[in-house]
Amino acid sequence: MADLELQNIQKSYGATKVLHDINLKIDDGEFVVFVGPSGCGKSTLLRLIAGLDDITGGELFIGGQPSKKLSPKQRNIAMVFQSYALYPQMTVAENMGFSLSLERRPKPEIREKVEEAARTLKLEALLDRKPGQLSGGQRQRVAIGRAIVRNPQVFLLDEPLSNLDAALRTETRVEIGELHQRLKTTMIYVTHDQVEAMTMADRIVILNAGRIEQVGTPMELYNSPATEFVASFIGSPKMNLITGPAASEYQAVTIGIRPEHFDIVTDAPHWQGQITLVERLGHNTIVYARVPDVGPVTISLEGQHDYEVGQTVGLGADLSKVHRFDSAGRPVG
Amino acid sequence: MAARYLVFGVLALIAFLMTAPSAMTLFTALKPPEELIRPAWTPPTAITFENFGRVWTDGGFRRYFLNTVLISTVDAIVMIVLASMTAYAMVFMSFRGKLALQVLFVVGLMIPVTAIILPLYTTVRSLGLINTHLGVIFADLALAMPVFVFMFSSYFVSIPKALHEAARVDGATELQIYRRVVMPISIPAIITTGLLEFMWSWNDLLLRLVLLPRDGMRTLSVGLLNFQGVQTRDVAGISAGAVIMAIPVILLFLFFQRHFVRGMTAGAVK
Ligand SMILES: Nc1ncnc2c1ncn2[C@@H]1O[C@H](COP(=O)(O)OP(=O)(O)OP(=O)(O)O)[C@@H](O)[C@H]1O
Ligand SMILES: [Mg+2]
Repeated sequence: MADLELQNIQKSYGATKVLHDINLKIDDGEFVVFVGPSGCGKSTLLRLIAGLDDITGGELFIGGQPSKKLSPKQRNIAMVFQSYALYPQMTVAENMGFSLSLERRPKPEIREKVEEAARTLKLEALLDRKPGQLSGGQRQRVAIGRAIVRNPQVFLLDEPLSNLDAALRTETRVEIGELHQRLKTTMIYVTHDQVEAMTMADRIVILNAGRIEQVGTPMELYNSPATEFVASFIGSPKMNLITGPAASEYQAVTIGIRPEHFDIVTDAPHWQGQITLVERLGHNTIVYARVPDVGPVTISLEGQHDYEVGQTVGLGADLSKVHRFDSAGRPVG
Repeated sequence: MAARYLVFGVLALIAFLMTAPSAMTLFTALKPPEELIRPAWTPPTAITFENFGRVWTDGGFRRYFLNTVLISTVDAIVMIVLASMTAYAMVFMSFRGKLALQVLFVVGLMIPVTAIILPLYTTVRSLGLINTHLGVIFADLALAMPVFVFMFSSYFVSIPKALHEAARVDGATELQIYRRVVMPISIPAIITTGLLEFMWSWNDLLLRLVLLPRDGMRTLSVGLLNFQGVQTRDVAGISAGAVIMAIPVILLFLFFQRHFVRGMTAGAVK
């Protein structure tokens, strides 16, 4: 187990800079999620930490030790790849025990550790199969098993759930969370899915175009986004970002109001809007409306409601929860 | 229906034309001397193995056979190791001069042996390796290396990079990744390389003729020439020799056929 520190980490491929001055401290045992849109540099940052790519500038400390020049092996990290990257010719047990066999550990010890990990991940029945004979979910477990067998200082996971279907993804998400509770090893988890980020992370690092936008706990990011980008990225459905005269009223260039902070009211409505679409999810109802001079607005209501498309309704907003941004996308005041 | 028969007819004709020379050679090899005056395409009425015995002992084919087996086996095995390691470095590792090396191999791919046979002879002689099997093996390896490096490379690029990276994270050295991750999933490429190099080495005449002047060192392909004088020809002897020479290659192909075909297409499709 170890803490990590990234100091002014930069990465360029030739002339193109893909990471600019990344500064980040990750505590021992923390579960940190890197999240951001496609191409923002999440995987690149993870690969730099793993030692799979060279760091162009800055310094990386793992457990207080400068690690920029160390090989992946010396860093004692384990990584779960998006494609799982299981060795096709080896059985599940051999895949999981590969790193230990490279260290020439005695066979009984390897078997014991592999079996222990297999028990944790409910893989005991599959130990003699080859990866080609497993389902996607099972392969994914083997990839995690291969990582935990080694008892590394840090776990790196690059979108480990993206090849699974929705139900399995939720299930595995919970399992990875539990695994972290039990192992208490530092984990860095990459995803582009903000729900995964919100549910799993101790802290979230939001990346955009090679820069860190904000670092904080899920609730910090939700309640006080440091930029317009973070505001729109965190939360589902997305925050309503409104510009123009409606925003000027609040002395801001852009105002942001989360769909769940809107309400449909009959008396003293803030705005009037015409409903364009209603999505009924059972536990909540999402109403899309068009407000003249404001634009499209998304409203998330608790419970079940019988609004119709075309209906004109009054909208009220919780004014204490309006986020105000200036022209640079920074919060006002 | 008529079209079908036409297709069958054409295919049968092609099959006949392709097998006929082999069949005639086999017939001739099995014929006693008195039957040799009959046309080559008539099967022997009385089968004899006397030609084989004569070629094997008096014709010196025992010696040639051993020489050939030795050279070809070493060629095949060493080629598998050398070409796969080179290709591994070129596909999975980054180092200075990689591009130059790639260009060198492409150039090597384009130069025909006949064009460089004389400089090759002088090189081998200056190493003192004329009349040694080692000299021939060196020349064989050097000449065919680009082809097989190319073959292994195109197989290796179809292996996901993440596999190499996973092994690095698992703590494997490049040599361990080569041995325990990459080579075990490259069996088709290994078999194809071994088989092709073995066969080329087995059948090659020019290099052996030039680099192995002494009879005791020579190979089957050169040995066959002994049965052909300027004026006379021992047709039955040549045929028996050719059959002896063909049998090991045929057996190898039958044995590895399945893998061979897969190896040829792998890397091309993906
Ligand atoms: N080997 C490379 N050479 C050049 N550019 C690269 C290389 N690898 C990545 N990049 C660039 O670096 C940027 C970041 O890539 P990265 O893979 O880290 O994105 P990501 O955030 O993981 O995206 P995704 O969510 O799609 O996986 C991209 O713009 C990509 O084009
Ligand atoms: Mg990525």
